[in-house]
Amino acid sequence: MKRRAFLMGAAGAAACSRRPRLNVYNWSDYIAPDTISNFEQESGIEVRYGTYESVPEMLAKVMGGNSGWDVVFPSAEYIQPMVEMGLLAPLRADRLPNLNALEASFRRPPWDPELRWSVPYMWGVTGIVYQTALNPAPLSWRDLWNGRLGGKITMLDDPPEVLGACLQMLGYSLNSSRPRELAQAQKEAIAQKSLVRAYLNAEARDQLVAGDVAAAQAWAVTAAQAIQAAPGKLAFAFPREGFARFADTMAILRESRRQEAAHSFLNYLLRPAVSAKIVIAVQTATANGAAHALLPPELRDNPVLYPSQETLARGEWFEPQSAASQRLRDRLWTEIKSA
Amino acid sequence: MNKRLLPLYVVAAYAFLHVPLLILAVFSFNASKFTVWEGFSLHWYAALAQDRDLIDAAANSLIIAVVATALATVCGTLAAYALWKRASGWISGSLYLSLVTPEIVTGVSLLAFFQWTFRFLNLRLGMHTVILAHVGFSLAYVVVVVLARLRTFDPALEEAAMDLGATEFTAFRAVTVPYLAPAVAAAAMLAFTVSIDDYVITSLVAGVDSQTLPMVIYALARRGVSPMLNAVSTIIVAGLGALVLLSERLRAK
Amino acid sequence: MRRLRRLFLAPAAALLAVTLAAPLVIVCLYSLMTRGAYGGVERPFTLENYTRFWDPLYGAILLRSSWIAAVATLLCLALAFPLALFIARSGQKKNLYLSLVILPFWTSFLIRTYAWMFLLRDTGLINTLLQSMGLIHEPLPLLYNNGAVILGLVYGFLPFMVLPLYATLERMDPSLAEASSDLGARPLQTLWRVTLPLCAPGIRAGSILVFVPCLGTYLTSDLLGGSKTILIGNLVQNQFTTARDWPFGAAASLALMAVAMVLLLAARRQGEEML
Repeated sequence: MKRRAFLMGAAGAAACSRRPRLNVYNWSDYIAPDTISNFEQESGIEVRYGTYESVPEMLAKVMGGNSGWDVVFPSAEYIQPMVEMGLLAPLRADRLPNLNALEASFRRPPWDPELRWSVPYMWGVTGIVYQTALNPAPLSWRDLWNGRLGGKITMLDDPPEVLGACLQMLGYSLNSSRPRELAQAQKEAIAQKSLVRAYLNAEARDQLVAGDVAAAQAWAVTAAQAIQAAPGKLAFAFPREGFARFADTMAILRESRRQEAAHSFLNYLLRPAVSAKIVIAVQTATANGAAHALLPPELRDNPVLYPSQETLARGEWFEPQSAASQRLRDRLWTEIKSA
Repeated sequence: MNKRLLPLYVVAAYAFLHVPLLILAVFSFNASKFTVWEGFSLHWYAALAQDRDLIDAAANSLIIAVVATALATVCGTLAAYALWKRASGWISGSLYLSLVTPEIVTGVSLLAFFQWTFRFLNLRLGMHTVILAHVGFSLAYVVVVVLARLRTFDPALEEAAMDLGATEFTAFRAVTVPYLAPAVAAAAMLAFTVSIDDYVITSLVAGVDSQTLPMVIYALARRGVSPMLNAVSTIIVAGLGALVLLSERLRAK
Repeated sequence: MRRLRRLFLAPAAALLAVTLAAPLVIVCLYSLMTRGAYGGVERPFTLENYTRFWDPLYGAILLRSSWIAAVATLLCLALAFPLALFIARSGQKKNLYLSLVILPFWTSFLIRTYAWMFLLRDTGLINTLLQSMGLIHEPLPLLYNNGAVILGLVYGFLPFMVLPLYATLERMDPSLAEASSDLGARPLQTLWRVTLPLCAPGIRAGSILVFVPCLGTYLTSDLLGGSKTILIGNLVQNQFTTARDWPFGAAASLALMAVAMVLLLAARRQGEEML
């Protein structure tokens, strides 16, 4: 269908757009197989769905203001920067009646208290996935510096996550921008490097399941998927010193000329049944409280995805960094990788 | 010594090239998702047929590669010929630059350029930008290969043709082009390979409607190795391999 | 004569202007600007991005990248040469053999890289085979090191070496080699003193086509090297993504291109220019 449109020529395509369209740009593997087609059937809107692997990748495309995308899914700590760059369109709450399906804690999130620019979508934490055979189990970040795990540890290939873990291990804030604290964190990261097998994100899942990796810094969604694939062999720990919390949100780009359709898509994703289906397909935690209630017990009560409130209290949300801090962290990361 | 060792080495070399693919093919028939063999199954091929995204991406990749290869080969061959006749510092320098630029830089610079020009033209990123980018970076490869061959061509042959009454263009067409044919074919193959394989530049300049196979594969593979990828590559290799063998047969006839 | 030549050059010139010259001008501009508060570029023009390079950290990165690229290129040359020789002399089946070399590269390089990861992992095929044959007891750490990266690079860039070598070898007069052995040279001597010098242009072309991309690689080193080292390609990519420091990324790219240009120019010979 898309190829024929191209072959007919841009002019033809511009002229004969029979159905209204919507262009959605999301993380890969972050939606259920039938969500889009169901929405298309119900609304009559044709959705073109693209995926990206990281927010900076999406930002690079979108910064020019003429990317062609309508709906994007930025991580929470990018909302404020994107607003300041003038990239997002203000949301109209009257077009989003399903907003009250959101869980209470997500109705006034720290990054966008009035939900003027974004709607929380899914959230998660970063912790440690480990082989249950390990004794004692690694329950704190410090345990990942233990020599007995040499060559079988992986950390995330993500500067905020690795530096964040080191900072929390030292008792500082995840979002610290103090040079002294960051320098100490960097020292720890370099000290750990000889024990690290590789810096992996979602790829660690297969290696955990196969047994190549004994302990990994991983996102909860990766953990849930790994644990499900190897029942009994793997477990997840919320590090004692603290851990990172992150959330992905949905937002509409200011450049979009299809604000109506975009709003109805967002509203559709907020529908509890739809959100529940996505969670079942992706195995992540949803910000949608009503959807949570609809989940099957093994997901709804999954301690990895939905930890208790006391556990969550140890977590810290990611916050946007200032330019100077970003530059320092980048340099430290370069030095870590170069060591 | 050379006579016997060489064929042996060649066999080993081809094995080295193809063994990973064979492994991929074998495991594309694996019933299990993981690397443990659990029985023969066509399950992943069935899943492939239903994955609209993957199929669309593969088709996009092929279209882009074919168009870009055709354009790059033609423009590059003509340019190589012109350069051979008389060197041009600007063009040669630019081609050198094109070879020397890392992919990420080409990609980002093209993205920045497109974003800047699209403020004045009512255009978006899409198949056309990807094809343009692909032709851009394939051009230098074509010129290098064709020019290398041209340097072994005796210009006297063309002059002889013109002495016999042919126009410059006819001399080019009837005398030079046949001589260049193997190099042009090699250059086209190289351009096609480079285009169909490209991830970095394509991912940066692709638009709403232009996801290519490498992009989908990268996304899939980051979530864990899926045998669907194995199925895709097996199909591509088998399909293109059959095409190649067929064209050999036809040529030999 | 001149008109035909200009006509022939025109499409290439136009393409280069749009896909190379204009974007590069923008990169140069960016490298002189300042990073915006959250990314992007901003007005104050500055040379700061270039002065950042005097840091020995970046010199070390460049050195490491050059070393890996050089090793990969040499290996490619060693592996590709006999292959190209064989194909060039194989008479009618030339195209078939050539296609068989290229064929694996029509699958995505990502898939091929993953195939190698699958082979090299601790629980991968090679280790499993060796262990089941009793040759080793602990799995060998084949993956996530420089060796794996070099292997991936060689595997990925082999056709870029084979094709130019083939193009020069194919038209080489075999009687020259015959004459050499008639005059009493041993096969290796003929190879070293007759064949190799004659296909020097092909060797140079192939080496450049392999070395330069290897220098700027980042995906292979990420996937097969476990993201444990930072090569100059990673540095550039980082600046354009995670660090969102486009000006510094632009400066780093120009520095990388300058190094590669210097090498290219050094490898030039009069009358034997690649382009």
